Amino acid sequence: MYQYDEYDATLVRERVEQFRHQVDRRLTGRLTEDQFKPLRLMNGVYLQLHAYMLRVAIPYGVLSGKQMRTLGHIARRYDRNYGHFTTRQNIQYNWPALVDIPDILGQLADVEMHAIQTSGNCIRNVTSDPYAGAAADEIEDPRPWCEIIRQWSTFHPEFSFLPRKFKIAVTGAAEDRAAIRAHDIGLKVVKNDAGETGFAVFPGGGQGRTPRIAPLIREFLPVQELLAYLTAILRVYNLHGRRDNMYKARIKILVESLGADEFRRQVEEEYEKIAADGSLALPDEEIERIRGFFPPPPQAESAEPVQFSDDADFALWRKHNVRPHKVAGLKSVVISLKPIGGTPGDATSEQMEAVADLAEQYGFDEVRVTMEQNLILPHVREADLEAVWRALADIGFATPNAYTATDIVACPGLDYCSLANARSIPISQEISTRLDKSGLIEDVGDVTIKISGCINACGHHHIAHIGVLGVDKKGEEFYQITLGGSHSDDADIGSIVGKGLPGEDVPAAIERILRAYLATRSDGERFLDTLRRVGEEPFKEAIYEAA
Amino acid sequence: MKMISSNKLTDGRVIFWTGAGWSADMKDGKVLEDDAADAELEAALKDEATEVVGPYLIAVDGHDPAGRERLRETIRLTGPTTGSTKYVHGIKPGTEA
Amino acid sequence: MRLLENGGDPATPLESLAGTNQSDVVVEMPGDTPFETAADIAARASRIDIRFPKFRDGRGFSLGAMLRERAGFTGEMRAVGDVLPDQVFFLKRVGFDAVAPEADINDEEWSQAVNAFTVVYQPAADGEETAIRKRTAPHGDQDREVQDRLKKLNERYRGASAQDIIKAAWTELFPGRLAVMSSFGAEAAVSLHLAASVDPNIPVLFLDTERHFAQTEQYRQTLTDKLGLKDVRIIKPDAEEAAEEDAKGDLWRTDPDACCALRKVRPLAYALDGYDALITGRKRFQASTRMRLPIFEYLDGRYRVNPMADWAPEQVQAYFKEHDLPTHPLVDLGYNSIGCWPCTQPSSDGGVRSGRWAGRDKTECGIHFSFGDAPGKVRRAG
Repeated sequence: MYQYDEYDATLVRERVEQFRHQVDRRLTGRLTEDQFKPLRLMNGVYLQLHAYMLRVAIPYGVLSGKQMRTLGHIARRYDRNYGHFTTRQNIQYNWPALVDIPDILGQLADVEMHAIQTSGNCIRNVTSDPYAGAAADEIEDPRPWCEIIRQWSTFHPEFSFLPRKFKIAVTGAAEDRAAIRAHDIGLKVVKNDAGETGFAVFPGGGQGRTPRIAPLIREFLPVQELLAYLTAILRVYNLHGRRDNMYKARIKILVESLGADEFRRQVEEEYEKIAADGSLALPDEEIERIRGFFPPPPQAESAEPVQFSDDADFALWRKHNVRPHKVAGLKSVVISLKPIGGTPGDATSEQMEAVADLAEQYGFDEVRVTMEQNLILPHVREADLEAVWRALADIGFATPNAYTATDIVACPGLDYCSLANARSIPISQEISTRLDKSGLIEDVGDVTIKISGCINACGHHHIAHIGVLGVDKKGEEFYQITLGGSHSDDADIGSIVGKGLPGEDVPAAIERILRAYLATRSDGERFLDTLRRVGEEPFKEAIYEAA
Repeated sequence: MKMISSNKLTDGRVIFWTGAGWSADMKDGKVLEDDAADAELEAALKDEATEVVGPYLIAVDGHDPAGRERLRETIRLTGPTTGSTKYVHGIKPGTEA
Repeated sequence: MRLLENGGDPATPLESLAGTNQSDVVVEMPGDTPFETAADIAARASRIDIRFPKFRDGRGFSLGAMLRERAGFTGEMRAVGDVLPDQVFFLKRVGFDAVAPEADINDEEWSQAVNAFTVVYQPAADGEETAIRKRTAPHGDQDREVQDRLKKLNERYRGASAQDIIKAAWTELFPGRLAVMSSFGAEAAVSLHLAASVDPNIPVLFLDTERHFAQTEQYRQTLTDKLGLKDVRIIKPDAEEAAEEDAKGDLWRTDPDACCALRKVRPLAYALDGYDALITGRKRFQASTRMRLPIFEYLDGRYRVNPMADWAPEQVQAYFKEHDLPTHPLVDLGYNSIGCWPCTQPSSDGGVRSGRWAGRDKTECGIHFSFGDAPGKVRRAG
């Protein structure tokens, strides 16, 4: 993984001192809350319902054992012994005191981490495929490009006060596991006929109140031109994005109102001018330097087939939580942060430390964070799988449900978030408990369920096969169900099916949706394909059957 | 009836206006007649300079949250309803408390 | 970067300048002014104030950046209005010279804000060296003092004419310690003509690699006569070293880096004692590694003055025409960049260094890198 050089390290240190100074100015009344708020937000500090919340970036979802251990340590020392992994490859602490945050940032800087630009109207943490460097279907490892974007976007002098927040995602694999077309800019690593690497560029996607799937505006961008092209897109957006209405300020609205063709024309025109100056052309030397931090995956010592014990629980876990790897003899392991009835994405200090140990002992010192709010050990020898499984089971992290219907994504919702209209976590807990008892999980297979507590859609409900959106109706929580979203190559926005349900009716309604699917599907047909084939009517009937 | 609530600047904890200062206990909160609330909020807002963040009026019934924001204010008062806070006591997620 | 109190002194609103053709105007415009409108006024403005209506409105950052980078505005640029101390660093970077904020900023806040970061990742109008550039062109021996001097020089001479830069370097900055380094290649006539017009006594260093085209020797004579150059010094490779390392005379074929080291890099190192600064004819458009070429830089213990750094290809052509300069005989044969005969071919795609080291992954000869990182070791004379 990438390691800071003196420049990276200096900058992060200077940022800690700057924030310490900003906090001092706020505490002594030199800064009003109005002035301080955008500054703390650009350092990931929110004020939520009960306390401050600190969002720490996990750039493109990559952690070392040491970094994971530090995250656990911070949770214990400064927070209530747990943290929450988010859908954008960040971790959030729910209870830090403002006066402690400069020290927390100092401890993060010790392990080359930071909270820079994890909020605010600036370029946010760049996200990527959690299987980067390990996936069997990978065209090229996207992480070097993510790191180049991370550096370029850090304290960008021109793009720190954009009309609205700005999110970039990069994938280097055939299957999109980073939801790139639901981002302000999605980048896909591609090869041209000459075998050269470049990017397909998709700007103008996003979730929130006006979900949009990003159009393709550039089929092949040479890699050296990455920063010049990103600068062109950001400049067009910074100058022409709406600033009169925050709900219409994201780039997706600009792209849509201009039309993809006109937006492309403006970007290409700007890009031509920027490229002529050439100062943003990436030197091959720097590309190679950064690529050097991401060597090919380790080789397994033996690629001989491993004889597994006949433990049924282990077999079930292997079925769902062990994924193919590009190297024979290695596998990727999904650590489910979705215990049945638990809080999606939460991990205690002890759990984080145990994962750090496992990464160091069995995982070549790497951990990843996924947009499904799980963790991954990307490289594990097949021969070590059983030991890893047993160790995970000891800490409650071996739920065999990765990518199943109980692998539910949920935002913090009204239990924490000052923007939420309704609770998300308790609904997810009820759904997971009910579906687990229903015995349907193995049968329904690939179904995604995602829950957001408000229209900002942090819980990604728009791109779920089954989405749940919390709304507030005269002080009561109601939940709308959406069907048919997808984040992958068949990316789509789910559509709302009928009126909202009270929270207590939601788990049963979702079970009925799944039963309707089982009754309707053809052989081997996925939920999403059945839905697309027969339309939403049978599912709508199932949802409102009891009402 | 109204009360003034806010978050403490230094650590963000939920607090209530007592008429003379701030308390973490809602029972200490000063209950205001609706027509007197705005003037009292003006007074409390002065503390935003160095003590609190964003004081605002909440609807109350006696010393309990009421009205449209009752759920939100109750959660602010009593903490998340998710069971996550039980982790404080070292209990693994997914197990019964 | 300066802090102006009480909102600074007033400027003329943009709209009241429409339809006039006054020059040297002091104009104020909002951050959402279209770039074309702003650039039109910039052409006749001595100072531009960009107003920030709300600190959250970041359009002024792009407008300022574009006025510097694209419109080439070299006058004073101020940010006025709702500007926070914490934005000052960014304003400085995109090319603002001064800030006139609505709210007061005390001295401590100001100095913290201006000096918040010592590392930058993005190239910007302030010319600050980016982390990428520091990594790819390392110069560990460069001390603070030199850095500061470079920064000041680059700020002071931003937008100055090439002639003014050479004049300042010769008379004021490095008197008696300055030389022109020239290959007498395709575009050399321009920098030589510029230098001669300042003073024909400025020494001109020519590296004779003994592998030059005959046409280059001939061209050197022609230019020396025509421009009246009074001090052309010819530098040759050390005969002993050449006999030892390139006995068969085909080192260029087996190891072009070693050949450059023998015939260019080391002879120049020997010859440079006695000079603090060199004028080069390098331009940004010439090679991908030169894209952020500053006017003044410092390599291996010596300043490089690149007076033509921001020249466009058309400017070079126009200069040839205007001063009726002879062209290198090989340019007419399709050579855009001319080095030694073994390593130069006619180019096809129009890239100005495209014929050099054709078919090899090499774009620079080593002279323009810091010597410490150049291919081959520098053997110090004496």
